[in-house]
Amino acid sequence: MTALVLPNRRVEDWKYSDLRNAIEPEAVEFAPVATWNVCLSGSVEQNDLPEIMPRAVHGQMGDMAASRAKFGLFLHVAKGQQGAADLQLANPGHGRALIVVEDDAALVLREHGRADGFTNLAVDIVLGPNARLKHIREAFRSEAVRVSDYALRLAAGANYRAHLADFGAKLSRTELHIALEGEGAQADLSGVSVLGDGGHADVTTRVTHASGNTQSTQLFKIIAGGKSRGVYQGKVSVAEGANGTDSRQTAKGLLLGERAEIDLKPELEILADDVKCAHGAAVGDLDPESLFYLRSRGLPEAEARALLMRAFLEDAVGEIADERIRAEVWSRVEAALAELSA
Amino acid sequence: MLEIDDLHVAVSGKEILKGLSLSIDAGEVHAIMGPNGSGKSTLSYVLAGREGYEITGGSIRYRGEDLAAMAPEERAAKGVFLAMQYPVEIPGVTTMNFLKTALNAQRRARGEKEVDALGVLRLVREKAKALHISEEMLKRALNVGFSGGEKKRLEILQMALFEPALAILDETDSGLDIDALKVVADGVNALRSPERAMLVITHYQRLLNYIVPDRVHVLYGGRIIKEGGKDLAHELEAKGYADIIREAA
Repeated sequence: MTALVLPNRRVEDWKYSDLRNAIEPEAVEFAPVATWNVCLSGSVEQNDLPEIMPRAVHGQMGDMAASRAKFGLFLHVAKGQQGAADLQLANPGHGRALIVVEDDAALVLREHGRADGFTNLAVDIVLGPNARLKHIREAFRSEAVRVSDYALRLAAGANYRAHLADFGAKLSRTELHIALEGEGAQADLSGVSVLGDGGHADVTTRVTHASGNTQSTQLFKIIAGGKSRGVYQGKVSVAEGANGTDSRQTAKGLLLGERAEIDLKPELEILADDVKCAHGAAVGDLDPESLFYLRSRGLPEAEARALLMRAFLEDAVGEIADERIRAEVWSRVEAALAELSA
Repeated sequence: MLEIDDLHVAVSGKEILKGLSLSIDAGEVHAIMGPNGSGKSTLSYVLAGREGYEITGGSIRYRGEDLAAMAPEERAAKGVFLAMQYPVEIPGVTTMNFLKTALNAQRRARGEKEVDALGVLRLVREKAKALHISEEMLKRALNVGFSGGEKKRLEILQMALFEPALAILDETDSGLDIDALKVVADGVNALRSPERAMLVITHYQRLLNYIVPDRVHVLYGGRIIKEGGKDLAHELEAKGYADIIREAA
């Protein structure tokens, strides 16, 4: 039997997230199959995975999860129906899920990750014509090694909104492989990573504009304190003939100390002619002038720092349209910021 | 209220204030006038406690306490307010939220009860009206996209809200047209009181037509080189700094 070679820093795609360094191959090799606690409302059906899965493009770990998890979770929203699903990982391991939202249907998907140990998930998501999916994923602070690999296919007019909040783990990697296959499909991604000492969070996105008049926006913010590492690598590809594509990609990092590291890598590959694409990335420190201004108005230093950090994340968290969910995410973000600024 | 004695301050190892002495009592408005580079902004920042301003000699006593030993937020809670020449823009924080957070931080530090959102809103509304600050402005991110005049009016609004014992106004007139200047000056004058001291720092005499000072000090080369009543400001305007500096030398 040949030893399993885990993705490591020599692989370009995993340069900032050395999985080989974070976990023993045996722990990956012999990991059990992951299971979820599922809470459904509205018209969402839950079944076992079908025999034949839709074609999906995952990353290396996602492919591994797909091949090793022999059973998994299948959620389905039928044509024109609406519902909500709350997923919480019950047992870590290799996991597999399929989520299908049919024509004109809508789903709100929430995930809370708290599991320790090793988790490697492959999630396939298929959105039919004009289907809508709101996806809110919070990955809590832990000592886990966790990889979540989502592969999405969007039909014409389908709309996907993702909001990620990652509070860091020993290694935390989230991959979003999004194919905008149908005319007018749209994906809006936003996320925050708030990392304290020892934390790591990597968001890797691959958005392919395969058809015309497709849109994608990305807004990611990372705050890294202590000895931590935050990563965003996003590649947007515009296929030949995908005219009228509109793509915006913004990633910003806030470094709180000398030992923290933030790596931002936006990439753009354009094969069509008539497209609008913009991307930008910047890493900075807390602005000392702003800090002094706030303190001169009476805010204690820690409070002033927390306020400025919150302000830095404001637009990314603000992308969450649902007021109640946004407030819940804010409360966890603020708790993490309070720890960072203490 | 404020006693500055033989103050020496260095920035990046370079001495900017070289033995400045000044004393202000409650109820008084003093003006500090001086040409560019005389040390005006250094004085305002050192009074507010900005980092990087090293006191190499002398003392600053505020109500009998050593001001230099206090953190900026402690000074604010104890009633020192600096209206800045260049208020910073902070995207992601609404003006209203900032005002509430700052007011309550000061009150908390003094052991006073915090004011709830509605209470702050009432307080702010009442004071904003006189300064021509709209509700819409208060909903915007702090100072973001504000005109020069709007930023200065917001500084005065904060002064009205925090009710400091010692207010320092650093070049509050810079960048204001005459109408905006009047609004700001009215706002400041409304806050003159027997319990409050004010230090108005300015390059030009113009502002002092509207905020009439009790005393005028001329700052040059890091020292007060001349002092007088309000007429000194007019003399400066007529003669220019060069003459006064020559006379003092």
